[in-house]
Amino acid sequence: MTAPLLSVRDLRTHFPVRSGVFGKTSAWVKAVDGISFDVPAGTTLGLVGESGCGKTTAGRTILRLIPATSGSVSFEGRDVFALEREELRELRQRMQIIFQDPYSSLNPRLDVKMIVGEALLVHGRANRSELEDRVAKLLTRVGLFPEHMHRYPHEFSGGQRQRIGIARALALDPKFIVCDEAVSALDVSIQAQIINLLMDLQAELGLSYLFIAHDLGVVRHISTRVAVMYLGRIVEEAPKHELFENPQHPYTKALLSAIPVPDPKRGGKRQVLVGDVPNPIDPPKGCRFHPRCPVALETCGVGSDPAFVRAAPDHIAACVLVRPGSSIPAPLPEEVHPP
Amino acid sequence: MSDRSPILRLEDLRTYFKTDAGLAKAVDGVNYEIFPSETLSVVGESGCGKSVTALSIMGLVPSPPGVKAGGRIWFQPPDAAARDLLTLRESELRHVRGNDIAMIFQEPMTSLNPVYTVGDQIAEAVRLHKGLSRRDAHAKAIEMLTKVGIPRPEVRVDEYPHQMSGGMRQRVMIAMALSCDPLVLIADEPTTALDVTIQAQILELMNKLQEDFGTSILFITHDLGVVAEVSNHVAVMYAGKVVEYAAVEALFEEPLHPYTNGLFQSLPDVEGKKERLEVIPGMVPSAVDFPSGCRFRNRCAFAKERCAAEEPKLLELRPGHTVACHGVEEGWIQR
Repeated sequence: MTAPLLSVRDLRTHFPVRSGVFGKTSAWVKAVDGISFDVPAGTTLGLVGESGCGKTTAGRTILRLIPATSGSVSFEGRDVFALEREELRELRQRMQIIFQDPYSSLNPRLDVKMIVGEALLVHGRANRSELEDRVAKLLTRVGLFPEHMHRYPHEFSGGQRQRIGIARALALDPKFIVCDEAVSALDVSIQAQIINLLMDLQAELGLSYLFIAHDLGVVRHISTRVAVMYLGRIVEEAPKHELFENPQHPYTKALLSAIPVPDPKRGGKRQVLVGDVPNPIDPPKGCRFHPRCPVALETCGVGSDPAFVRAAPDHIAACVLVRPGSSIPAPLPEEVHPP
Repeated sequence: MSDRSPILRLEDLRTYFKTDAGLAKAVDGVNYEIFPSETLSVVGESGCGKSVTALSIMGLVPSPPGVKAGGRIWFQPPDAAARDLLTLRESELRHVRGNDIAMIFQEPMTSLNPVYTVGDQIAEAVRLHKGLSRRDAHAKAIEMLTKVGIPRPEVRVDEYPHQMSGGMRQRVMIAMALSCDPLVLIADEPTTALDVTIQAQILELMNKLQEDFGTSILFITHDLGVVAEVSNHVAVMYAGKVVEYAAVEALFEEPLHPYTNGLFQSLPDVEGKKERLEVIPGMVPSAVDFPSGCRFRNRCAFAKERCAAEEPKLLELRPGHTVACHGVEEGWIQR
């Protein structure tokens, strides 16, 4: 078995809540509270969950845009959190991010040539005379035209801006891209264009994606495997078909049942969860989902988070009710992800 | 097709905006009708004019830059004469607005006032429109919060919007909108900013309230899944016009207009069967510069000369199913 491109182990990101005149830390927001997963080369891991579940923080912590509290991330076999400044600079060329909002993530004062090409100059990958040529190739690759490079972001539609964001992410030939709600802000017909583009680029360039989204239809379409997060932890992870056809965790089941299906003849039998996502400063004891869980046992509210149960060889879920399968302790050992 | 008379009927509604780039024809000849106790969904992509249509019904389009460029909005309460809302004076309109027709918006945080408690905001509406006393209005606020399923309403009534989650705020908006027993509720993307599990709660709530109150709902959304769930009828809008109007089952079973069909094709399906998504090429044209003839022709795989020369009319090509497309009319577009 070859090592996965990206490997995350027991990652935690806690933010301090300060109060009082001296700014004393009074509590911690446990945005990401012990997650582990692998992303093999050339595959896509979909990371889904509701707002506030920590999926965006997870993506940014992995890229070291936010400092981690504990845990480890290894990329191409190197410990990302142990890298010195220069090594990190070098590594960042191979790890990129595409943001949700194509309006606020492009500098309005730079033309497209500089937005896409700045990183090439900064990293010494192109000089000024080669720049136009390189940017033209990148723009063509994402479905724009070379003459667009002299325009500014406000001259483009949302879908075109997202293409510019993708061209910028591709400039340094990355191996791994975090797509943070990359298509959520787009209309359906434009969303389909961008999803197809991302999948084409993956096939051509062998990219790996961490695809963070809340739209389960999109995630199902683009992912190889899917991990479901709830309140800072992964509650279930499986190959996409397995997860969508045979969900094990009650939260995953509720999430899937909540998706409105574009078929008016499908009866309204759906399981509606009560209540909201609890406050991550003080998550519920025991299983974090138990206050909203329709099948919770009395014992679900005591002790610590439930351990992962292997429902199928490559399908894990953190719920005491999941059968059959051998229980394996969290944090996850290596053998959880077979080749 | 229902033989009842519609409670709200839009006839060739036009709302334009004066912009530096020229006259933007945001709503340019919209026709649809809403029947009592039914839900009409209006779908379309950003910029198609679905929200401006709703604001026009409410008389909330700022002028300038907005221009009432034509058409009629017939409002027909059960036991009164039909009135054209566009011809009402501001004072008459203020009586209709909130009392007869209420509206909820996409982003509940920006539509609630952060410096008043939610109870005060609901109470203000019923004191103005129903003339209730301060004490009765407060009791009414608690009653409405109970109806929309807010736990411990007698405590939450004194809370401020920032103390509530997004789903709770949207419930407050619905409570406020329904507090005066409106005949029509306009819901502009009410669940778009919410998570799916919360969206499911709100949709269920709206369905239940419609049964209890008999309210007619104009539901504006871009999510075809939500449309399938809540609607009786659906109007599909593109570039300021309705291009297709039908009962929800008919539209989903047999979408006639190539644009409607394209919308369905570009949806990743939850069953996960599609290998590659079909796309509608290009993008929505600018409202200051629509193409001649059919506005969809530049993106349509079936367009012929007639599509550039002549604007298609909304015609009833199947019983109760109207569509504006030369290709469907003449039979060179078939499904």
